[in-house]
Amino acid sequence: MQTNFTLEQLADPHVAESEKILRRCVHCGFCTATCPTYVTLGNELDSPRGRIYLIKDMLENGRPADEEVVTHIDRCLSCLACVTTCPSGVDYMHLVDHARIHIEKTYRRPLMDRLIRGLLAAVLPYPARFRAAVVFAKLGRPFVPILKRVPALKPLGAMLDLAPASIARPSDAATPGTRAPQAERRGRVAILSGCAQPVLDPGINEATLRLLSRLGIEVVVPEGEGCCGALVHHMGREEPALDFARRNVDVWIREIDNGGLDAIIITASGCGTTIKDYGHMLRLDPAYAEKAAKVSALAKDITEYLSVLDLPKLEPKRLNVAYHSACSMQHGQKITLAPKNLLKVAGFTVRDPAEGHLCCGSAGTYNILQPEISGQLKARKVRNIEATKPDVIATGNIGCITQIATGTAIPILHTVELLDWAYGGPQPQKLSAR
Amino acid sequence: MTLIPHTETDAAYVIRNAAAQGTRLSLCGGNSRVGFGNPVEGAEAMSSRGLSGIVDYEPAEMVMTARAGTPVAEIEAALAANRQMMAFEPMDHRGIMGTSGEPTIGGVFAANVSGPRRFVAGAARDSLLGIRFVNGQGQVIRAGGRVMKNVTGLDLVKLLAGSHGTLGFLTEVTFRVLPVPQSIETIVISGLDDAAAARAMASALSLPVEVSGAAHLPQTVKGRFVGGALPEGEATVLRLEGLAASVAVRAEKLAAVMKAFGPVSRLGQDKSVTLWREIRDVHPYADGTQKPLWRVSVAPSIGHQLVAALRLEAGVDAFYDWQGGLIWMRMEADPEAELLRRYIKALGGGHATLMRASEQVRAVTPAFEPQPDAVAALSARVKQKLDPAGIFSPGKMAGAL
Amino acid sequence: MSEAIEFLPPRPAVLSRRTAIIADLTDLLPAECVIHEARELVPFETDAFISYRRLPLAVVLPKTTAQVAAVMKYCHRYGVPVVPRGAGTSLSGGAIPQEDAIVLGLSKMSRILEVDYANRTATVQAGVTNLNISEAVGVDGFFYAPDPSSQLACTIGGNIGMNSGGAHCLKYGVTTNNLLGVKMVLVDGTVVDLGGKHLDSAGYDLLGLVCGSEGQLGIVTEATVRLIAKPEGARPVLFGFETSEEAGACVTDIIGSGVIPVAIEFMDKPAIEICEAFAHAGYPLDVGALLIVEVEGSEAEMEATLASVVEIARRHGVKTVRESQSAAEAALIWKGRKSAFGATGRIADYICMDGTVPLGKLSYVLKKTSEITDSFGLRVANVFHAGDGNMHPLILFNANDPEDAAKAEAAGNEILKLCVDAGGCLTGEHGVGIEKRDLMRHQYSDADLAQQMAVRSAFDEGWILNPSKVFPLDGRPAA
Repeated sequence: MQTNFTLEQLADPHVAESEKILRRCVHCGFCTATCPTYVTLGNELDSPRGRIYLIKDMLENGRPADEEVVTHIDRCLSCLACVTTCPSGVDYMHLVDHARIHIEKTYRRPLMDRLIRGLLAAVLPYPARFRAAVVFAKLGRPFVPILKRVPALKPLGAMLDLAPASIARPSDAATPGTRAPQAERRGRVAILSGCAQPVLDPGINEATLRLLSRLGIEVVVPEGEGCCGALVHHMGREEPALDFARRNVDVWIREIDNGGLDAIIITASGCGTTIKDYGHMLRLDPAYAEKAAKVSALAKDITEYLSVLDLPKLEPKRLNVAYHSACSMQHGQKITLAPKNLLKVAGFTVRDPAEGHLCCGSAGTYNILQPEISGQLKARKVRNIEATKPDVIATGNIGCITQIATGTAIPILHTVELLDWAYGGPQPQKLSAR
Repeated sequence: MTLIPHTETDAAYVIRNAAAQGTRLSLCGGNSRVGFGNPVEGAEAMSSRGLSGIVDYEPAEMVMTARAGTPVAEIEAALAANRQMMAFEPMDHRGIMGTSGEPTIGGVFAANVSGPRRFVAGAARDSLLGIRFVNGQGQVIRAGGRVMKNVTGLDLVKLLAGSHGTLGFLTEVTFRVLPVPQSIETIVISGLDDAAAARAMASALSLPVEVSGAAHLPQTVKGRFVGGALPEGEATVLRLEGLAASVAVRAEKLAAVMKAFGPVSRLGQDKSVTLWREIRDVHPYADGTQKPLWRVSVAPSIGHQLVAALRLEAGVDAFYDWQGGLIWMRMEADPEAELLRRYIKALGGGHATLMRASEQVRAVTPAFEPQPDAVAALSARVKQKLDPAGIFSPGKMAGAL
Repeated sequence: MSEAIEFLPPRPAVLSRRTAIIADLTDLLPAECVIHEARELVPFETDAFISYRRLPLAVVLPKTTAQVAAVMKYCHRYGVPVVPRGAGTSLSGGAIPQEDAIVLGLSKMSRILEVDYANRTATVQAGVTNLNISEAVGVDGFFYAPDPSSQLACTIGGNIGMNSGGAHCLKYGVTTNNLLGVKMVLVDGTVVDLGGKHLDSAGYDLLGLVCGSEGQLGIVTEATVRLIAKPEGARPVLFGFETSEEAGACVTDIIGSGVIPVAIEFMDKPAIEICEAFAHAGYPLDVGALLIVEVEGSEAEMEATLASVVEIARRHGVKTVRESQSAAEAALIWKGRKSAFGATGRIADYICMDGTVPLGKLSYVLKKTSEITDSFGLRVANVFHAGDGNMHPLILFNANDPEDAAKAEAAGNEILKLCVDAGGCLTGEHGVGIEKRDLMRHQYSDADLAQQMAVRSAFDEGWILNPSKVFPLDGRPAA
């Protein structure tokens, strides 16, 4: 579509990029149909096309962000269903990233909002702080009903709701070091431990380590890696996000230089989407552009990597698995068939819930910052999943696991936990507890 | 005396004069539906039969243009020569009306005639692509065109179809035609009561076998079809059409499912053609009487409830043409218009049209289902825009229409 | 932004009451249903015909028929123009507002109210998308037949407004043939039901008149549509030809032979490349034109139909014949076709024409179309419903170059006139909207148009419903 930017505006590489993205949009409106917030709220302002238009108007006029624009951009889950749908190839992800950075730079949020966002940014990406917060959350839980009644405090209530009731047992899955494979060595990979996942569910990476080890893959947990940066990136906090990215790039480049890596394995698709975007995020940083691109090229979701290892076909089991594809998996990384095929080969019966393209409402910190919309999406997702009458739900993202688990009694596991079990690992605790 | 213009220009002239003088005109084609609609006082008849002949027929494009007064027989013969047909199977009203006029193609569209393929292939309105007509001011108006897809402007074509000559004088019609199906077969399920038949039909119509006709013929009428050749018991009949190989396969499938409802038999090509023509033309009630005859359109699933409810209170005989979307009802004596229309409303809505009755009955019974006030008012305003002087059979369809 | 087509001048009496109108609307509707902040109005300034844009006075998104009625009653009383909007996917600018108008969006009315298999009907709110209906009844073996390419997003209300078609209407007809009833709010707020689960009308076919009336006769809030049992199987087949002329002639012969496939879609070389780049459907890239012919029914029926079609195609020198081998492949073939317009956005801006021509004129019109675009120095991609002659030349241009944009518009007008002159019409399924309004006189006489406008006035004497659209601004009846 037509754009109106001055040459001066276009000198800013962010604006220049956004202009290119906007030019591709033909305003056909297809994206509205698969957008979870449009489907829920029925207002074009809460749809990709509406947001694209709001962003266009804001950027063209060189305006600081205002309350209205912020409201509608904040409601975006960044699920990227629109990117999958868009026939024109509009790169909505980088457009909304730019808009969020612009908001963060030009808009002063209300006090409570600032505090909560600051709290999330200061705690979530750091496992030790997050672990402490979870302990603290237990104490705060009795206050949830009160918090939920005060609009500005609703996010706090949501946060406490989501915190796990018990603290995960300590695990050494995140301890730095190299794990030699149990079988003949076929490859060497690094694994991302991440920030929130080891606190919420260390079993995922434990299962990954066991499975890879049995398959002859040497796995290194590199010293010094940390949060991928997605959490702050989605809040528009560009510099902290880039710092996280640079730190991880350094760590992985070090591993590539010492011993080489076939892949960087990620077991949370939310992180995977961001790490695969490092090359883009750091494209303007001459010191990092090349290294970041290299890292992005090596980043692989665990199911993506397992797919090339040719796992043997197993006898069918009598277990119905509803596969929930995380948005970051299906829309962010376009990985749609690999996890389901792996499960099928491993003998599970895989069921596809209706409206699989719709987000569960987790979306990073979205379930904390937008609890109402998130709750509606969760209910819808759970309804669709339960309609397939599954014994277990499988997915590839810790955010979805946490979110969906609070809405259903059906156990929800990471795909890799089921695969580890099928290929000789222990039965996942969530299943044995039944 | 009937006015019979031979050119469109003449027709426009006549109408302009009539409008200026306030002369009422009763527009018609071949008069095969004379006696239908509310009686109109003091109107001079004006027929389109002077405007006759096929103007253009492109079999390869499946489109025909004909002057409004062209006899239907002529159209059908021309189509048949190219193995084509009007997919909406226009019924011939002469049997039930006891008339002898020559049906015209303009009349078919003016009355939006349809047949047992109504649900799948539409009524006349659905095949009508374009028209020329003279409005009540004597202006020649063109609407629609000759292509199948056309959303250019307001669809006056639909409005004129089924307006029974109360909005304009059709002079030319362009319509879509389709190839005649290679093969026809009928599945007959015997011995079902009305309610069971409704269930059987709903089941058949939800199968992927493309049923193109579905009717239920209770005992009272069954013997009147195909010279009494239908098997013992009530007959629920389902028509399949298409390529011979395909019809055979579909018939097997349909018969297999229908067995659960009752004994299944089949009718081949010739008998099927006869049967469906007789259903189309409401053969059992082409009885030479003036017993009130209703054409009732309701949601298929409530049809038997309507008939059952009426039977408790009135002398009624009925059969169901479901893919035509109709119940045909012949009343023994009183038309029971109020009762019938009250039940239709109570059962979820629809409409009953009095096709035939004695003059005394017609004089006091609205032929068309009375409309809710807002719709009636809207229709009257529409009529006023096409026929400002109110000369085209005022009152034929309802109060002002 | 183009300026060639004028909108009605805003009514000063409305503009001057803006604040009061917004306050009144806020009283009539819940807060989240009224949008009036300047910045929030911007995204509603256009639809999928983005060459034209106008900011509305306000946007209302009612949730119930009663709320729609309240808004209409109010707007009628104060003479405030109302522009209805479904999903805003119109390619003719049907939902583009004007400065003194309220946009009345049906996007919050998106519930399927009832599915009735015994009567084969679905009753839905106007904001339900076309595809939602088929998805809701698909598991039970039914579907809703009209399938405009935008069916993923476009609403049933919008479909009724434009009498939308689609690829499969060759067999199943367009919206008007599949619509059984509507609940509609008249201009003064009166609510009427036209039609229902039964067939045909007790009086004038007002339902037929409303379908395709582009939001000028009332606001449809609910619709009852016909459901059809899904065929046993369906199979799209790709036929590649050297030239567009060969493909066009083949279409004419297929229809002429009496074999009627469910759909015959045409793509020329540029269109094939655009669609393949998005959908990876396996369209042959070494041909000059492609037909997608879909047959359906039982295996026996599909084979028989296909055999006749293949034979006809061979007579026209078909180069490639490829049957889809699986449901997934068939879905990809259709995904590519249905995304054609949007996918064009990858290479250029475009405007999409919608003229329909008699089948015998297909090849001629295709040839003339490229001559016209050539003469303007523009590129064109053709992708359309060939079986019913409904052409969609996509004229490619650069929207940031005003001269280029003006040329595209001029070329489009020439092409549409060509379609009319060939015995066809201006628009087969997208509607007149704002785009083709000033070409109406090319197709209709003054008397024809006056008659249509008079009938329109019977519904809306003050012309407040979508008033800038469909009918040329001069020659309208005096209010």
